[in-house]
Order: sequence, then C-alpha cells, then structure tokens
Amino acid sequence: MKPTDPDESRRASWRAVWPSLVIGAAILWAGIGSDIELSRVANAGGRIAEFLSRMFPPDLSIAREAVDATLETLRIAILGTIGCILASAALGFLAAESMTPRAINAPVKAMLALMRAIPLILVAMLMVGAVGLGPLPGILAIAFHATGMLGKFYADAIEGVDRAPVAALESAGATLLQRLRYAVWPQMAPDLLRDTVFRFELNLRESLILGVVGAGGVGFYIQTYVRSFQYDKAATLTIIVVLIVLLIELANTWLRRLSR
Amino acid sequence: MTAADSEFAAVLTGVFHRYPGEVRDSISAIDLTLRSGERVALIGPSGAGKSTLLSLLDGRLRGFRGGAIVLSNALDARRAPPRNERAKVGFIFQEFALVERASVRENVRNGRLGRVTQMAALFNRFSEADHSAVDRAMADAGILEFSEKRADCLSGGQRQRVAIARCLAQEPQLMLADEPISNLDPLRAEKILQLLGQTVGRRNSTLMFSSHQPVLAMRYADRVIALNNGSIAYDGSPEKLDRVLLAEIYANDKGSDCPSLRLVG
Repeated sequence: MKPTDPDESRRASWRAVWPSLVIGAAILWAGIGSDIELSRVANAGGRIAEFLSRMFPPDLSIAREAVDATLETLRIAILGTIGCILASAALGFLAAESMTPRAINAPVKAMLALMRAIPLILVAMLMVGAVGLGPLPGILAIAFHATGMLGKFYADAIEGVDRAPVAALESAGATLLQRLRYAVWPQMAPDLLRDTVFRFELNLRESLILGVVGAGGVGFYIQTYVRSFQYDKAATLTIIVVLIVLLIELANTWLRRLSR
Repeated sequence: MTAADSEFAAVLTGVFHRYPGEVRDSISAIDLTLRSGERVALIGPSGAGKSTLLSLLDGRLRGFRGGAIVLSNALDARRAPPRNERAKVGFIFQEFALVERASVRENVRNGRLGRVTQMAALFNRFSEADHSAVDRAMADAGILEFSEKRADCLSGGQRQRVAIARCLAQEPQLMLADEPISNLDPLRAEKILQLLGQTVGRRNSTLMFSSHQPVLAMRYADRVIALNNGSIAYDGSPEKLDRVLLAEIYANDKGSDCPSLRLVG
C-alpha cells in the first residue's frame, strides 16, 4: 500500500515511530529517576567473596531442621496444588466458552486474570492476617494464586475438546457419563496432567518465600539466618532446598513423559 | 414388534425439515421405505439434503415434521432416541469423528458403549462378547495390524477404516454412512464400498450411504435414491437410472463439485 497524500504518509511514519519513542522514554525515566551508583557494584566484589567464604563450611548441625522445614514447604506446595486443582476444575469449567454462556464465562475469565495478577506474597500476607501464622495461610495463598493460572489452562483444555467424537459416541448409544469418560476425558487428560505438573513446580518454587511473611515453610529459616549473618547455616538450607527441588523436578519429568 | 415391522428398516412419511434461519426446506415431502437387508446409495448434488436425511435416520435431527419410524421406533422431533435404539443404528461420519489420542482398539471399542452397562464401562470392564466383537470388526476392516497405534498417527484411509470398524463393532441393524468414499482414490473407494457391502450382507443388516460419485456408488447398491433440492428425484434400481436422468439431477448443482467429470467415473 502506497500512501499518496503527504499528510497521510506523515501520519503513517509517526505511527511507526511512536512505539519506539514510548519505550525509549520509559528506559530514560527509569535510569534517571533512580538513585543508582554503579560504582557500588565495582566495590561489591570483596564483600561477596567475604560472605561466600563465611558460607563455608556449611553448618550441618541444622541439617535435620533444614530438611523438616523444606518438607513443610513441600507439603504446602502439595496441599496448595490440591486446592488449586479443585478450584480450577470448577472455575475452569465455568470459564470455558464451550460450556457456559458468555454472561458466565467472561466474568469468570476476568476473575481468573485478576487472581493471577495479585502477587503471591501479597495474598500470603492477607491470609496470615486472616487465619494466623503457620502453613495454613501458605496453603490458602498458593491455592488462590495458582488457580488464576490453572483455571485458565483448564478452561483452554475444555475448549479444545473436539465435539465430533462426542456426538459419534452419543449416536452409538453411549450415555452422558460414558461420553465424558471415553470421548471427553481422553482428549483432555494429557493437557490437564501436563499443566497441573507444571503448576505444581511453580507452586513449590513460589512457596519457598512464603515463610518470609510467616506463612510456613523453609523461607522463615532462610530469612532468619541471612539477617543474623549466619551464612553457614543459610548455606545448608540452600543446598537442601536445591536438592529437594531437583528431585521433584526429576520426578515431574518422568511423570510428564508418561502422558502425551 | 410384529413380523411385518421387521421387514422394514425405516419408514418415512411426509417428512419436512428446515434449518433455523434458512428460507428453503433442507428436505421436503420425503416418503421413503427402507426394507431390511437393502443396500441403498443416496446420491445428489451438494446441498440436496443427503446429510440431513442420514442424520434424521440416525435420530440426530431435531425439529423435523412428519412421521419417521426407524427399526420400529418412532422418532421424536424434540429429543434423541433412547439409548438402546441409538445403539441399533450405526453411523460412519464423513470426518470420521475419532478420539485422536486414543488407540485404534479403544476407538473401535467405543462402538460397544451403547451395549454395555454404564458402570461396567466406566471402569473399563468389557465382556468377552464385547472384546470378540471388537476383534471381529477390526479384522473385517483390515486394521488388526495397527490396532494399538494411536488414531492421530494414521493416514486418512486408515482412519476411515477405523471409523468403519467402530460402526461394525456396534453391530447395528441399520448402518448409515455419510460420504464414506469422498477423498479416496477410485481403487480405495471401491474397496471401502466392497467392504461395507460385504459386512452388511454377512451381518444381515441394512446399509444406506451417500456419495458424490454416482456411477461408482451405483455399482455397490441394489437401490439408488437421488435427492435434489430436498426432494426425492429418483428411487429405484441402479440399472434403470440412465445417464440422461442422472445429468438432469445434477444439472442445477450450484455446489462446488464438478459433476460432469464424476459421471465419467
């Protein structure tokens, strides 16, 4: 398309340029407005070396405590995932365009978007305020926050179901339950499993920080040891957390390979 | 059911149907009697009402007027037939309608669902009779060798045979097929029609299939019904349907097909 009118051509070049101008302005604004002294990074080398050296050797006397705390985080992630599976099954169904009228699925979709937009740490703080300290607010926070994403994924899986084989089975005399079991479920199951395992991995990582706001798990210990400069103990925690997370990821990879 | 009833696979009297928002009837004033054991080819240009008529016989068409009795069950224009009646009528869908992520065997076994109790099926408990019906259907359709493959790994021709096997496993008394040989080369098309004809003969059931290749279809049918603009333009033996009449039926075809070429086939 060739603009013949000179005004039109000027407008077209402006339309092409303005996104770059906006992005450039945003970068300038961020750089100039903040109080950043890059010289401090240059001087940080010694300090980093110092606290790395203080991490060694890791203080294994708290290994038992570290394992227990990490397992508590794992329990929070597992129970939080169960919670978000239940909520996502219900909300995902309601959010699926092929299942409900627009008057229902559009608001439910918007609600899911809002749920995943609220940062987990904020939800956790509110939950601690509501039900007190410990793993329970952590589980509730994970379940709430993760439903925002998993509910959307479940809705996508439901919307992706091809209706033709469902109609074919009905024509062959299958009941509603049989159609769900043999035509709908086989189409969705691999997606549901993949999405759920993925969300569980995210839940596990995200739940590591819950302890910082008193919502249970290993995060509380990491925060305490780092703040009191006991880097050797923090190192032990880090090692154990990394080991357990890696183990879970291996298990997930194996689980995912089962489904395609 | 009296003896006279079982002579007929279907009896339609004065059936009309119009899709919502359309100005023309999809099928109009259809009077039709299918005798048990017949092999009927349904021909006619695109939009003539072939698929509508087939879905009516399958009990999937809502909102029709007139009388429709299929295997001595009177169809209700407002709701699907009861389960045991749906199980008696088999349908081979044009787009196959397979469960893509399930194996060939599972897809064929789905044809048995109308004949097993709900609970048994939910827990994957199928009887010996079900398993042998599935094996027989796969053998007849020639798909035993890839029975454990997933449906989405198959070629178009293989998928077609899986769809046919699912219908055979259902052991229907009336078998309906919507364009079973579209998208197939002439050799494969003949094989499929042969297969349908043979299995229907062996199982003593009734067959009605639609096709855009009248000359080929007529070779495997003992009765031809031609639809045009929703009405029956010809109903009789394939021998008596001459080319002049056939050309007339396809003359006002406004569809995208090219009937003049197909007549040669």
